Amino acid sequence: MKRIRQISVFVENRPGRLLEVVDLLGKNGINIKALSLADSSDFGIVRLVVKGVDDAMKVLKSSGFTVSETPIIACMINDKPGSLAKILRALSENNVNIEYMYGFASPIERKAVMVFKFSETEKAQEILNKYDIKMLTQEEIREI
Amino acid sequence: MIYDDELETLPREALEALQLKRLKNTIERVYNLVPFYKRKFEEAKIKPEDVKSLDDLKRLPFTTKQDLRDNYPFGLFTIPLEQVVRVHASSGTTGKPTVVGYSKRDVEIWSDLMARSLAAAGVSKGDVIQNAYGYGLFTGGLGAHYGGERLGATVIPISGGNTKKQIMIMKDFDSTILTATPSYTLYLAETMAEIGIKREELKLKIGILGAEPWSDEMRKSIEEKLNIDAIDIYGLSEIMGPGVAIECIDAKEGLHIWEDAFIPEIIDPETGDVLPDGEEGELVITTILKEAIPLIRYRTRDITRIIKEPCKCGRTHRRIKRIKGRSDDMLIIRGVNIFPSQIESLLMETEGVEPHYQIIVDRVNNLDTMEVKVEVSEKMFSDEIKHLQKLKERIEKDIKDLYGITVKVTLAEPKTLQRFEGKAKRVVDKRNI
Repeated sequence: MKRIRQISVFVENRPGRLLEVVDLLGKNGINIKALSLADSSDFGIVRLVVKGVDDAMKVLKSSGFTVSETPIIACMINDKPGSLAKILRALSENNVNIEYMYGFASPIERKAVMVFKFSETEKAQEILNKYDIKMLTQEEIREI
Repeated sequence: MIYDDELETLPREALEALQLKRLKNTIERVYNLVPFYKRKFEEAKIKPEDVKSLDDLKRLPFTTKQDLRDNYPFGLFTIPLEQVVRVHASSGTTGKPTVVGYSKRDVEIWSDLMARSLAAAGVSKGDVIQNAYGYGLFTGGLGAHYGGERLGATVIPISGGNTKKQIMIMKDFDSTILTATPSYTLYLAETMAEIGIKREELKLKIGILGAEPWSDEMRKSIEEKLNIDAIDIYGLSEIMGPGVAIECIDAKEGLHIWEDAFIPEIIDPETGDVLPDGEEGELVITTILKEAIPLIRYRTRDITRIIKEPCKCGRTHRRIKRIKGRSDDMLIIRGVNIFPSQIESLLMETEGVEPHYQIIVDRVNNLDTMEVKVEVSEKMFSDEIKHLQKLKERIEKDIKDLYGITVKVTLAEPKTLQRFEGKAKRVVDKRNI
């Protein structure tokens, strides 16, 4: 199973709250690989891919944050036009729904990493396999 | 266990005869010793000898909190101050506090009634009572303290606050009983989880909780979190303090009001008319055993009703329903009456919602608005915005469906809403009316 552990943090929508989250991780030497922020009018969810998931969970919880862990899939794609479209087409043709996604560029040889949360993770993984799209393991993410 | 077998199970007829005798004495006493009462009785054209039956009580004028304030501090006392062994006062959030006094005999009777109450709640001689009610002018601390000692239990007079130390003492002293406000009890439970004290490390079995209105759902939440029996106790300083009424652990359904010391009536708060047993209204209490400051038909502002059906515990003293709220706490939102306890019940029934909330009432463009802040718990936290939105909307819809008012529900981060060591203040009313 090529699943990545993503951390989600509940934050109220007020100035400085996101800073507190990242500052806490920074002070504890936890490197953030990717971050995305989903928001509504009065609260938001910070989603994080980090190096050191257990430590991050621990420090966030002990500082009173509400956190949860979600399995997600990270795909490595070429950092060039049309790569993402290729993946999305494969998913769309097979009727796989994406709950949300975000991405980051990797310093390794012009590659990019896209992080996905699917409604049906199993099915998505099968499709991605079939189309030969490289999925990263937790260890591989750490090394990027 | 029944503390006073004879008095607590007195047949109704004998109990009512005793009440009448004591009522007559009390009326005689206040009429002759307190100018305020003499004047009030004269205005109502009634003389002490006109009271011939318990039914005549309804002809007497009411006494209110304002009357206590107008006679501040000792104007309603029947005895000179040198015979008063103690005074207490209620927290006057606005203006002067209301002051009450106790003769030596009053303190004795209070101790007995409180011992009776504790016994009804399941406390007995060998118990260790951690008394987290505040000591001071507030009657909670000393009231529970004297009752515990009278019963023969061991009392730890720890008072409120200093939560981590409370937990250490609870563990090290093997406390079996906690006396506190329900909101503080929840805070204790939460702090325990935080510092990693497990329920199994404690000997706690019963919480005797009161001094603020709370709901049955809150009881369930406390009982689950601490694995104890949570018992509702009722009292108010004007009438005596804690121990006016209490649930028995046998039924946990309604609070026995000690009718050999107090006569309860339920009135329509608007008209002042006495309502029949079973109907909801304002609780009015006449004290019939107090010496220093007896009160005739005191309007408590508390909303409840009388349960007259006999209780399975064998006590003959009637019960009052759990207090729904204080008529002063009642919020009127765009003409709809609502008690904070009703919102609380609903929140407690919503899966995954923490028992901490705050209600903020405001007036925007001449319209009342109500916001309910709820803490997000790990259980209800979802990685997806739409699930949290749905939860928020569900609570909003439930409140709308049940009470007909539109509210805004806001999800707050855990432990950001205020915790309380004494009485909880859950409503912030920003309206300047």
